[in-house]
Amino acid sequence: MKLITKLVSLIVFTCLTVSIVNAQSTGYRARLSELPVSPQTYRDITGVGEVFATLNGSTLSVNGSFEGMSSAASAAHVHNAPKAMNGPPIGALEATPLPAGEVGGELELTAEQVEALRNEELYIVIHSENNPGGELRGWLFLTES
Amino acid sequence: MKNSNVKIPAKILLTSVISVCFLASCSDPTGEVTVAVDPGPRTYTAAQAEAGADAFASNCAACHGSNLQGTQLGPLLTGDDFLAKWGTQTAGSLVANVKSNMPPGGNENLTDTDYVNIVAHVLATNGMIRGSTELTENSNIEIAAYVAEQAPAQARQRPQPPAPTGLVISGTVENFVPVTDASLRDPDPADWPMMRRDYGAHSYSPLDQINTSNVKDLKLEWVWSMKNGDSEPAPIVYGGVIYLINPSNIIQALDAKTGELIWEHHTGPANRQDMRNIAIYNDKIIQATTDSRLVALDARTGEKVWETIVADVGKGFVNSSGPIVADGKIIQGQAGCARYIPENCYLTAHDANTGERLWEFNTIAQIGDPGGDTWGGLDNIFRAGGETWITGSYDPELNLTYWGTAQQKPWSTVSRHLTIDDVGLYSNSTVAVNVDTGELDWYFQHVPAEALDIDEVFERMLVDRGDQKLVLSIGKHGILWKNDRVTGEFLGFKETVFQNAFTNIDPDTGLITYRDDIINAELDQWIPVCPSSTGGKDWHSMTYHEPSGIIIAPLSQTCLENAAREVALVAGGGGLASSRVFFEMPGSDGNMGKLGAYDVDTLEEVWNYQQRASFHTGTVSTAGNLVFVGDLDRYFRAHDVTNGEILWETRLGTSVQGHPIVFAVDGKQYIGVTAALGGSSPRTVPRVIAPEIQHPDAGNALYVFSLPD
Repeated sequence: MKLITKLVSLIVFTCLTVSIVNAQSTGYRARLSELPVSPQTYRDITGVGEVFATLNGSTLSVNGSFEGMSSAASAAHVHNAPKAMNGPPIGALEATPLPAGEVGGELELTAEQVEALRNEELYIVIHSENNPGGELRGWLFLTES
Repeated sequence: MKNSNVKIPAKILLTSVISVCFLASCSDPTGEVTVAVDPGPRTYTAAQAEAGADAFASNCAACHGSNLQGTQLGPLLTGDDFLAKWGTQTAGSLVANVKSNMPPGGNENLTDTDYVNIVAHVLATNGMIRGSTELTENSNIEIAAYVAEQAPAQARQRPQPPAPTGLVISGTVENFVPVTDASLRDPDPADWPMMRRDYGAHSYSPLDQINTSNVKDLKLEWVWSMKNGDSEPAPIVYGGVIYLINPSNIIQALDAKTGELIWEHHTGPANRQDMRNIAIYNDKIIQATTDSRLVALDARTGEKVWETIVADVGKGFVNSSGPIVADGKIIQGQAGCARYIPENCYLTAHDANTGERLWEFNTIAQIGDPGGDTWGGLDNIFRAGGETWITGSYDPELNLTYWGTAQQKPWSTVSRHLTIDDVGLYSNSTVAVNVDTGELDWYFQHVPAEALDIDEVFERMLVDRGDQKLVLSIGKHGILWKNDRVTGEFLGFKETVFQNAFTNIDPDTGLITYRDDIINAELDQWIPVCPSSTGGKDWHSMTYHEPSGIIIAPLSQTCLENAAREVALVAGGGGLASSRVFFEMPGSDGNMGKLGAYDVDTLEEVWNYQQRASFHTGTVSTAGNLVFVGDLDRYFRAHDVTNGEILWETRLGTSVQGHPIVFAVDGKQYIGVTAALGGSSPRTVPRVIAPEIQHPDAGNALYVFSLPD
């Protein structure tokens, strides 16, 4: 009986621990790729990147890298819109002012923004000198691990 | 009706004669274009052409090349190709077309004058007559009339030789056994006698000599280089002979075992355009041409037996897919129905022995007809679209032929002066048409009032499950639709890729609800949507693997932003009229290509395989539990039907495109597939999203593989 009690306690403890960890820290990933291109513009809007993000409470920490942009990065933001839609920026990130580099930063999210993140409705944009409206973009998706 | 035995349509003959003169006028040893000068009204001015050159360089050259020579992103705008398409249309209509459709990504800074000047530059580069009278948007003179009447002497000394026509290589298929209705209903396992092998469009072969255990040993048996040009071919195989459609409306008969050429027929026009498929019936090969004719060739010798005109190419009608033969009737679809003209867009049936037209089914409901009140009161002349540009299927027991129809034209609701409530029957539907009469038996409109060039025109797959007779299809929205093919009743759907065009699809009726911003889209307003105009799924056929009850579909994952352009309701006008830009589908991780397997009963996804390169062949499955597919990155692969695992792969000379075939000769099984180039959205979109995927810009060929003896 003692053994069963211990086993149940262990299972409950493990479940609680996992759920606490999940509640405290949730991982997200975004593949950054070119904003919409046409045959006229695809040589001028270039590059690729990858960003990882962690949500601790309401703090979103972002770290990633990019390369191959047509010109130096000039700004980076987190935006709010459903997948494949366009929406407003909700916060700024830092980006290496080069065609390749790192992008990252921390944002305090509102409750609505946390919900948007969970619904895969936050995305990252890196702007460049040649493409001030944005050159790379990617939505944050929950990672499996 | 009367059969039209026309050797060479008069307009084409005229155009060809003119084009030879005009091409000659272009030639100059220095590379400079020699331009005749004419003070008459058929002119543009030098200033217009000069200004147009600058505008062309900035907005058009990326796709059409700096010298209008064409690239993988856009067709050439000179010579026979240009004249064949535009020679009989007015300069004003060319200006209107360019203004409505070009550049694809839009440019709000381009003025009406810029568009006129760009056309003047195209005319100038083609060596057409320059003068003192300005070209205008209202020019009603045919393009061919701008051709210089007197070619420079030096150019006349080395004229371009005319393209060969007719039977170019003679030969005979020995021991030919005529194809019967019975042999089409139940093909010999060794044959692949129609585009997707059977009337149900299963693209499935019962051959199992090559299977999951030995496919790793597959080796190249032979290869046959094909003609240059756009190519999306589906060869057919009958009695040990491959009948192969090439660009420029050329058909070859090849010994399927050795690849030896037996005969070659050039029906023309020699325009480098592609035709996806041909048909065989009795002792004839039935060919639809890119200029909307039907031609029957003797399957034994390649000699022409009869020819008939289906529609007037001079009015924009074209074809890119061939017919299906059902109960002795050739049933042919139609494309190029985007212009505001009185002529209808229709399916036609023809007597297989004579070409005589038996009936027409108009895919656009006219005023006063059933469904005629679904076009918002537009006059008949302004009701456009509804093309049947992908070959249908056929149920002999029900005596019905099933076709998908394309969307209304222009692409966007606001451009066609309609609302989202003007559903436009019978666009974007499955239509079930009686083979004897051409009468509509039932229809199901998958996406009423389609608004973003995402049509539902592709193959209709006929599947029996127990007592259920099903018709299944996937359109560009990537939605797998299941309907009862007896009644048309909606039975279910499955989203195979991410889509955000609809906020709801009613699970009981299949009725879609568009996003509000799509419903209310205005001119020049950018609307993002997934998938893009390349699908979801496009013309590349899916396969039904009956032993496991799954459909395996070649899918594509990209998105677009669309901005509608204005189109005036003017007779002779019309067009497509959108600016478009493209991007990766969120969540795809950059994988444009998706191979998806779906249980026919539950519609649940059984497995999927994803990769960066887009797929460019139909999928073909076999009793050896293999599914074959080819891609943009030159790979041709065999996957395990049960889980998608790659069991064999090889790399061909250029992008793998077309429709694989599985056949046997003398008891030995073979797999064939074409490497090919050309096409519209399915090629353009991957080209701009994944430019790192490179392939040679030549290399059309048929490859045949087998196991070592």
